[in-house]
Amino acid sequence: MKKDEDRRQRGGDTARLTRGELFSIFFKAGLAFGGGLGILAVLEDELVSKRRAVSKEEFLTIYGIGRVVPSGTMTALAIAYGYKFGGMLGTVIALAALALPAFVLTIILTVAYHYLRNSRLFELIPVTIMPAALALIVVAALKLGKDVFRPSRELAVACAAFALALFPRLNPALILLAGGVLGAFALRNVEEKKDVDAKEVGK
Amino acid sequence: MSLWKLALLIALFNLMTFGNGPVMIPLLQTHLVNGAGVLTEDQLLYAFTIARVTPGQANFYVASIGYMLYGMPGAVLATLAIMLPGYAMIPLLNGYEHLRYSTWIKGFTKGLTVTSVGLILAAVVQIARGALTQPIAWVVLLATLVMTQLLKWNILVALAVACCLGLLLKWLL
Repeated sequence: MKKDEDRRQRGGDTARLTRGELFSIFFKAGLAFGGGLGILAVLEDELVSKRRAVSKEEFLTIYGIGRVVPSGTMTALAIAYGYKFGGMLGTVIALAALALPAFVLTIILTVAYHYLRNSRLFELIPVTIMPAALALIVVAALKLGKDVFRPSRELAVACAAFALALFPRLNPALILLAGGVLGAFALRNVEEKKDVDAKEVGK
Repeated sequence: MSLWKLALLIALFNLMTFGNGPVMIPLLQTHLVNGAGVLTEDQLLYAFTIARVTPGQANFYVASIGYMLYGMPGAVLATLAIMLPGYAMIPLLNGYEHLRYSTWIKGFTKGLTVTSVGLILAAVVQIARGALTQPIAWVVLLATLVMTQLLKWNILVALAVACCLGLLLKWLL
C-alpha cells in the first residue's frame, strides 16, 4: 500500500513491466473467451487493478485510440502496451502472446475440418454446424446493431445496405465505404452511449 | 488466386472494417466464395464458427481460411495481414488529441457499423438460400437463435446442443 502511495506522489509514474510479465499478461488475455470484451476485462484487471502499471485514465484513453485504429482493437492495445513497456521488441512479444492461443486452436480445428471433409460425417454438416453458424452470424449482427433496431437514421442506413447488397448485388465493399462516408456526415452527432460494446462484439 | 493476393485482400478488408470480424463475412463471401470461387460456403461458416468457440479475437478466423487455402504459410500471412495495421497505434498515441474530438471519425465508424449490420444480414440471406436446403437445417438455425439470443446460453453449449439436435432429427426422420 505504502509503495503505491509513494509511486503516485512521484508524479503518477506507474510500475514497469518486464518482458516476461508482458508476455504472461497478454497470453492470459489471449486465453480469454468472449472476444474483445473478454480480453479487455483481463487487461484491465492485470494492468490497472493488480499491477497498477497503467492508470485508469490512461487505460481508457488507449482503449479510445485503439478503437479508431484500422485493425482489431485488441491488436492495437497489444501494440500500445508492448511499445510502452518494451519498445518495438515489446510489441512483438505482446502480439505473439495475444495471438498464440487463438492461432494454435484455430489451426487445430481447421485441420480437424480436413479430416471431417473426407469422412462420412461431412454429409451431416448441412444440418448441424452450418445452420448453427448462420445463427451465430445473425446474433453477431444483432449485437452490433443494438441501437439500430428502432426507428432512426441508423435503421434506414442498415435497411438500405441490406437491400443494395441483396437486389442489385452491389459489391459490399463499396456499400461499406459509402456507409462510412455517409456516417461521417449524417451520424456524427448521434449519441453513442452503447457503442463501446458495439464495436467489440466481433473481436 | 495467389497466396499474396489472398493476404492483400484480407489486409484490405481488415482495414476497411476496422478489424471487425463479422463485418468481413459479406466481403469474404462476395470475393472468395462467389467471386474467385476458391472457398466454399461450408468452409467460410466453419472458419467463422471456430473463431466463436475459441478464445481470443474473433477476427482470427482468417487464419483458418488462410490454412484451408494455402496451409501454414496462408495461416501466418492472413494473421499478419490483420495484425500489422495495428502499428498505426504508435503514431496515434502521440497525436491523440486531434482524434479525440474528431466527430468525423466517430461518424465514419458509426456509419460502418450500421451499414455492416445490413450487409451481414444480407450475406446470411444469400448463404441461407443456397445452404439451408433441408427443413432440419432451419430448425437447427432457429433453435440456435433462441438459445443464444433469447436464453443467453454460452455459445459453446448452444452450439453443442444445436449439433446434437440436428443429428437427432436426421436420425429420426
